[in-house]
Amino acid sequence: MTEPARLREISDDEFTAAYGSDRFTSAVILNRLRYAVEHMSTGFMREAFSPIIRDWYDFACTISGPPERGYPMAVVSNSLVVFLGTLGDAVRNAVEEFGPENLSPGDVLICNDPYRGGTHVNDVCFIRPVFAGGKIVSFVNMRAHQLDMGGTVPGGFSATKSNVYENGLVIPPVLLWSRDQPVRSTFSLIFDNTRWGGMLLPDFKSIHQQLKLGEQLVLENIERYGLDAYLGTLTYACDTSAERMRDAIALVPDGDYTGSALIDADGLDDTVDYTVRVTLRKRGQHIEVDLSGTSPQARTCINCGVLDAKTAVGVALTMLLDPEVPFTSGTWRTIDLATPPGTLVSSLPPDGGIMMFWEASGAVVSAIFDALNPVLGEKGVAGDYGSTNTHNASGVTAGGTPWTSATQCGGEHGPWGATKEGDGDSYTVLFFLNNLDPATETIEHDAPLVMLRKEHAIDTGGAGEFRGGAANLKDTLWLSAASHYLSPFRTKVPSGVGANGGKAGPNGAMWFFPPREDARELLGTSAEVYAGSIPVAGVLDPDSKAPDPEGVYHYFASRPVWRTEPGTVLRCLTNGGGGWGDPLARDPERVLADVRNAYVSVEGAARDYGVVVIGDPHHDPEGLRIDEQATAELRARR
Amino acid sequence: MNKIQQNPVLERIPVDGPCPRCGAEELRRYPVVSEGGWFQVVKCQSCLYSVEREPWSRLGPIQLLSDSL
Ligand SMILES: [Zn+2]
Repeated sequence: MTEPARLREISDDEFTAAYGSDRFTSAVILNRLRYAVEHMSTGFMREAFSPIIRDWYDFACTISGPPERGYPMAVVSNSLVVFLGTLGDAVRNAVEEFGPENLSPGDVLICNDPYRGGTHVNDVCFIRPVFAGGKIVSFVNMRAHQLDMGGTVPGGFSATKSNVYENGLVIPPVLLWSRDQPVRSTFSLIFDNTRWGGMLLPDFKSIHQQLKLGEQLVLENIERYGLDAYLGTLTYACDTSAERMRDAIALVPDGDYTGSALIDADGLDDTVDYTVRVTLRKRGQHIEVDLSGTSPQARTCINCGVLDAKTAVGVALTMLLDPEVPFTSGTWRTIDLATPPGTLVSSLPPDGGIMMFWEASGAVVSAIFDALNPVLGEKGVAGDYGSTNTHNASGVTAGGTPWTSATQCGGEHGPWGATKEGDGDSYTVLFFLNNLDPATETIEHDAPLVMLRKEHAIDTGGAGEFRGGAANLKDTLWLSAASHYLSPFRTKVPSGVGANGGKAGPNGAMWFFPPREDARELLGTSAEVYAGSIPVAGVLDPDSKAPDPEGVYHYFASRPVWRTEPGTVLRCLTNGGGGWGDPLARDPERVLADVRNAYVSVEGAARDYGVVVIGDPHHDPEGLRIDEQATAELRARR
Repeated sequence: MNKIQQNPVLERIPVDGPCPRCGAEELRRYPVVSEGGWFQVVKCQSCLYSVEREPWSRLGPIQLLSDSL
């Protein structure tokens, strides 16, 4: 096994021989291709009708190479990472099954089967071959979430569906456009089996146009620089990722490392929890990741497929070892995923339904952090909020208008863990999603609700020299009767684990508050308010119903559908992000700023950081100061 | 610990002979996913050297009925 020559060290002649162009031209072509996928993304974003595209950026674009080169995914947009990770395999699997010889210029091939292409049925892959000289030279691709793909739950976001038949419409590789003419039978197949086709249709048309744009931009590059230089650049892009990932892997000491992560329950009952177990075996520039020992596939659709597990491995190692590595097929060149079939993260049809796939593959990321953080020391990364705690609701207004609210009013956004670079961010999405945050005005426009709170919860960032991001607290007042589906998966053990000696962030929960006389008054945030609630999820004190790690687990699908009266408030509190480093090493000035900004209370500053802050953060924030002597004494006693 | 043993474990079939790189008598055959999809490998369990690396079926352990048409 000879190691490949380093890209920086090969001569200009060797570079040109290997990649069909000089270094400078390859760099120019690659940048132009990155522009192409961003241009496609911007166009779609501007035109999309579906809220999940418009408000969440729930799509991604890539460029892959031709069949005879193994469909290398060389260029990816700056967007949803779980889509990018699986698109390389999705394109290869869909085109190989359909037969590249059956494709023509102007075709758009689609596929949404999680087992063939990863993620879930709502995420449809749109694949367009690019022909030059009568031959396929590339594919321009988009994967975009469709608001509904049929199945038993409107919108699909639910942990309660039992198998692939309940889950939704599965589309094998078929043409949606043939030589730029719509294939009516395929459109009918979709419209006859899904809800809200009126929203899907214009988005499909926009995707068709973006793919045509991508094709045009690829062809312009080929015309200008030649086919050899174009194809060589795709290879170069993948080789670059492979080399940088090899270098990053080499930084980890050789050895076998194990980690795990826990998912609370599936959508059937709360008698079974699910563990992802990972063993990383590292030798030189190679890593083998074995998922043996992971729980069998779940009884309801909280599973993910093996391609999502593969994405999670790529994301976790990229984040831990070298976040600058461009995410291409080459990322996995010296990484092997070895997994038994039929686990939570390598489920099999028809029983191992896949819907909440990112929750399962996110646990793979957590397990890898768990395994490698102790080895990495300072380079360790603390855990994030663990679950998007997804909320879906639908109903009919008093006036008879149907409405739906998808992925807007649960705990979808939350904190990241801290790193050696600084504090964790507080209001983002899970490490490996990378979406946007829907605007409050849009959410309130689309469904009969009032968003009362969307704020950082105090004392929820894991303590450390660098603090974890703060948990998010969200209160939503539902003005009409509603049917809710709630999917928080990581409330039993902290997901926001600490790194390099930092503390874990506390766990969150969800509650409904029945309609109140004083509905116009905000609900408080102190522990007393929870006594009047109906707990949905979380580990809570049996009497006060406030979060308590020693308390009782409440199961999110104890009612598969939570039906509420007008005037009900839903509260979602996410988990907190983990801290990095010893909390007593945190600069007291930073703790003071945290008290000033309501990340940390006066009590929390003393308890968690050994910093004594004097003053009133609410009524005289500018007057806060540190009691230096008391702080020194308090820290010395720890 | 009983519960862990019931969870699926990847089967690694022993293959005779030493590793050509490190000499360990620890070669095993099993499927992996990597760049380029699924492969059946014969790999040294000591140093991770791949003695063989052949492309496997497109979807790994999943067989499509339509592939039998
Ligand atoms: Zn060996």
